[in-house]
Amino acid sequence: MGRLRRSRTHHARRDVHRLARTRVRVKDLDQIEIDLRPGNRAKLERQEIDEDKPGLGQHYCVECAKYYETDLALRNHTKSKVHKRRLKELRDPAYTLTEAEKAAGLGQDNRQRGVEEVVKKFEGMSNQEGEKKEGTA
Amino acid sequence: MRIEKCYFCSTNVYPGHGTMFVRNDAKTFRFCSSKCHKNFKMKRNPRKVRWTKAFRRANGKEMVVDTTFEFEKRRNVPVRYDRELVATTLKAMERVAEIKAKREKAFWKNRMSGNAAKNARDAALSIEKHIELVQPRSATTTMPNLEEKEKIREKIKVRAAGRKAMALQQIEGKDKSSKKKRESRLIPSGGGMGMGMNVD
Repeated sequence: MGRLRRSRTHHARRDVHRLARTRVRVKDLDQIEIDLRPGNRAKLERQEIDEDKPGLGQHYCVECAKYYETDLALRNHTKSKVHKRRLKELRDPAYTLTEAEKAAGLGQDNRQRGVEEVVKKFEGMSNQEGEKKEGTA
Repeated sequence: MRIEKCYFCSTNVYPGHGTMFVRNDAKTFRFCSSKCHKNFKMKRNPRKVRWTKAFRRANGKEMVVDTTFEFEKRRNVPVRYDRELVATTLKAMERVAEIKAKREKAFWKNRMSGNAAKNARDAALSIEKHIELVQPRSATTTMPNLEEKEKIREKIKVRAAGRKAMALQQIEGKDKSSKKKRESRLIPSGGGMGMGMNVD
């Protein structure tokens, strides 16, 4: 086999352990994915003034989950490599526990049992469609 | 109690084993080992780490589409207990596992099927590339063998000659009959004859 690891992956990042502490944890990709939904995004981009947050919470990058002090800093950030890398990471759907379970051959079954008859009664006229659904499920 | 799956590598996490991380939005992440936990803390994507099940699945290393996957499921809807249902399920589990193993084996065989031809081609290519390292068989093997054989023959000759000289010495020593026992110890193989002679 050829080389598996790409070159130039070594950085002079010191003190990795301090950065891995739970209290310095930042948002995970799956959380950011939820933030990116239109309603949530609009909320995060127009936050109320909060004295505890950097820049009063007015300059927030949703993709990177990070507050900036000024608008200029935010604009510079959106042009940066870090931000573009994050955009690339967010292109695929986030990894979840369901995917981990699926990879182990464990699927999910949320189908209600024993409710078909009740549904039929209520629907009355549209019986045939219900049967079709049962057949596919 | 239930057997959970590791968030990172998808192996089983049995009750009382591994670590659980609870994020501040109450989502839980279970890890089979500190290795998986550390990789999670480094924010690595399991799809890109080669030793995880997620990678193997995403990259066609393992069977993905199959009807045997339709049985084992996390059922989020309770099923009323039924003794017979449990019995038939247990029976079916064995059979399903058997079929699954068979299909996985077939899948693996199919995945590896092109390898023999590829390896042969690579070997031929590498020989062609490094032809200067390959020496003709006659130059390397046959000639030294002959020399060695001669050497061995010579050695045998020397040994035989030495034995003859020793035997002669022994006969001379017997005539003197002063050091009977020592001589017999020194020559164990020819000593039998020597002893017989001594008795006479």
